[in-house]
Amino acid sequence: MEVALAVPPDIVFIILATITLLAAILALQAKELIYGAIGLGISFIGIAGFFILLDAPYLAMLQIAIYVGAVVVLILFTIMLVRREVGEEVIEKGERGEGAAGLWIAGLLAVSIAGVAALAGPNLASTPPPGQLPVSALGPVLVTEYPVPLVILALLLSAALLGALMLAKVER
Amino acid sequence: MVTLVSYIVVSAALLGIGIYGLSVKRNAIRILFAVEIIVNAANINFAAFSRYLNPPQVSGQVIVFYSIAASAMEAAVGLALILLAFRLNNSIDVREMDKLKG
Repeated sequence: MEVALAVPPDIVFIILATITLLAAILALQAKELIYGAIGLGISFIGIAGFFILLDAPYLAMLQIAIYVGAVVVLILFTIMLVRREVGEEVIEKGERGEGAAGLWIAGLLAVSIAGVAALAGPNLASTPPPGQLPVSALGPVLVTEYPVPLVILALLLSAALLGALMLAKVER
Repeated sequence: MVTLVSYIVVSAALLGIGIYGLSVKRNAIRILFAVEIIVNAANINFAAFSRYLNPPQVSGQVIVFYSIAASAMEAAVGLALILLAFRLNNSIDVREMDKLKG
């Protein structure tokens, strides 16, 4: 399905990138943890936008349903449960020196990866090849080429569910 | 012009933000935020590379599918652990979780 965009994709990309990165920074730097969780949700929605730009509407749907719908809501509930202490955010003591070190590590890593990508630029495809994948292409590949990971994933999901229940259960 | 490199740059920036949070923050929930941001940075790369291959491959999207499911359950178990740690320690500051230290 071709979605006709009124604005050129470049502008959409820049807006999405700005929203995603700013919301991710907000998620980590907001004073109140609960605003951080909301920032995380906005960042996930921005990433769903990237998936739509990349012609993967199914992934965008999955991203919004699972990340925004489940993970962020779960995080919000947990924040409310541990609120007594974190409501007024623990002042992140002794963060100053570590903050500078963390910034250096993260900045160097990000800049080096982006630099390598930019240097390899001419060898990478600059425009997406025309053939568009229909959403229905995902299903057959999932069950014919990767059936074993699918089953393992199902087992892992049930194990994680039981494990989370066991851990969070209150002993009486 | 949006190229593959633009997606890699955005994903590298997200990775940087995530690594910063992982190495600096003391609050366990914030560390979980950072982990989720890093996983999402990787997902963008998978989707972008699968789109820009010639011809486009669906395998990258399948990997993102698995990755989203896996990180959802990682969040569930992580939050259960945080709740448990809060009940035992009355704090979710990771620098204070040193009961296993001899």
